[in-house]
Amino acid sequence: MNDAWVTTVSNRLPAYLALGGAGLLAGLLFGRPEPVVLAAPLLLAAAVGLAMARPPDIDIGVRLDRERALEGEEVDLELTIRARRAVAWLDVELDLPGGLAELRRDGDGAIRLRASSTREFRRHVACRRWGGRLVGHVRLRARDRLGFFSYRQEVRQPLPLRVYPRPEALRRLLRPAETQAFAGNEVSRLKGDGIEFADIRPFVAGDRVRRINWRASARRGELHVNEMRPERNSDVVVFLDTFTELADASGSSLDMTVRAAAALIDGYLRRRDRVGLVGFGGTLRWLRPAMGERQLYRLIDALIDTQVVLSYAWKGLEVIPRRTLPPKSLVVAFTPLLDERSLGALLDLRGRGYDLTVIEVSPLAFVHPGRRETERLAYRMWVMERAALRGRFLDTGVPVVTWRRGDPLDGVLAAATRLRRDTRVVRV
Amino acid sequence: MRARALAAAPNVLLAAAAVALAAVLALAPVAGLAGSPGGLAALGGVAVALFVAGMAMPWPAALPWALGLLAVEYLASLEVRRAPVDAAAPAYAVALFLCAELGWLGLEARRGRRPWAGRVAAIAALAVGASVLAALLLLLGAVPLSGGPPMTALGVVATIAVAACLAWLGRR
Repeated sequence: MNDAWVTTVSNRLPAYLALGGAGLLAGLLFGRPEPVVLAAPLLLAAAVGLAMARPPDIDIGVRLDRERALEGEEVDLELTIRARRAVAWLDVELDLPGGLAELRRDGDGAIRLRASSTREFRRHVACRRWGGRLVGHVRLRARDRLGFFSYRQEVRQPLPLRVYPRPEALRRLLRPAETQAFAGNEVSRLKGDGIEFADIRPFVAGDRVRRINWRASARRGELHVNEMRPERNSDVVVFLDTFTELADASGSSLDMTVRAAAALIDGYLRRRDRVGLVGFGGTLRWLRPAMGERQLYRLIDALIDTQVVLSYAWKGLEVIPRRTLPPKSLVVAFTPLLDERSLGALLDLRGRGYDLTVIEVSPLAFVHPGRRETERLAYRMWVMERAALRGRFLDTGVPVVTWRRGDPLDGVLAAATRLRRDTRVVRV
Repeated sequence: MRARALAAAPNVLLAAAAVALAAVLALAPVAGLAGSPGGLAALGGVAVALFVAGMAMPWPAALPWALGLLAVEYLASLEVRRAPVDAAAPAYAVALFLCAELGWLGLEARRGRRPWAGRVAAIAALAVGASVLAALLLLLGAVPLSGGPPMTALGVVATIAVAACLAWLGRR
């Protein structure tokens, strides 16, 4: 979609015409040729400028070299400009949405186009932050040869560019307490057909002969069979608290959350687990657990559309569709522990028996303690309140691990694994 | 520091050239004048001061006034000299035009718009064309044609045409 050219006249042109007109008038009044002679160059310039004043007639094409990129990568935006008439001076400026930045421009950007000529050039765009964006908004500025007229036009050819979050490096994942029925990579706690040794027991009628443990049978004087654990998959739901975020120039708590979620999703899907997503915030988003490559793209696409939307509406778990949170699923929640609604929902999840682990995306790095004593006191009280809140979760058997900016997620998950062993609630 | 100085170089060079040319244009009419050229020199001084202020502040609206004052100083010097027709008028006219162009180029360069080759070439071509036109006009002025209402009417029509152009631009 192209806007019409907006024409601006330089104040030089009226000045030349005024001086020229005054010269002609003076020539008439005083009957001398010199005022007219002085006016002649100015009027000639104005006349030539007016005669050549025509807005550019150009077509512009915008193309991205790819539609998907990783955070930190560069994409090339190719611009093709075809001029039907000559353009003396043309500047092409990209209007990029937030999170994208133009890296460098060849020359000063202004070009000259001959009539019926085509010019192609590339602009290098850095993907600074994850997210789905539309690029292709181009601002054109042109000037005539004498600089009397300036022309502006905005061209919008929206091209989708999806910038995926840079995944955090992960070597281990949280092991779910319970597994599901399908085959996977997680050793089930239940005994059945599998290859992982679980126990030995006396032979009973119906046991397979190949399961007999001959060495144990010889030692004990009666037949014993090996019991195995099957390898099953698990359901994992990544729960994102998107009610609020804290940010500074170098990033935000939501950035950390999305990167970590992307890494977890990728890791669990590689293990053939079913992975779902709940974005719990001003806008509720969910994806039911599923497995496979397609689910990976679905989840990542949903992740990069995640944003904090201000909302005062009270929300609880009842707004989440039931099948989004299957029974026996492992729920990994990323939250800055700032909004009461998400805290209530997490405690409710625990109350409903979900295997919940909370990873607190620490907002402390984004908050300055202040300089005055009262500000520091308030900060310390806030930090203590947060510690008490974590204690409240631990009391209910929910492991809470704090993830500070700069810490590796792998270490956080290792700490969560240790804490999950310690805080496991025994169900009777 | 050096990069900033280099970036500012075209801006400063253009402004300096424009002011120097304005000073030459202010001095030329009073040079060689018999008697006391105090009033004319003061007029030229005001014009140059206005030009410098226009370039330094920057104040683009001051430039046309400065150029107008320079033209008035020149025309007044012709009256003081009681010269019939000044053969240097085309050169003065072209210099005045170049002074104006340099001044505006300097102001644009200050706003980050550097002069580009095509525009410089167009200004040079215009200067050449303007000098030829001015010389022709001067020759025409020197031809002993009988005046009268038709010639005066032609001048009035030309002036009205310029005023019409101004009105048209004002509406855009």
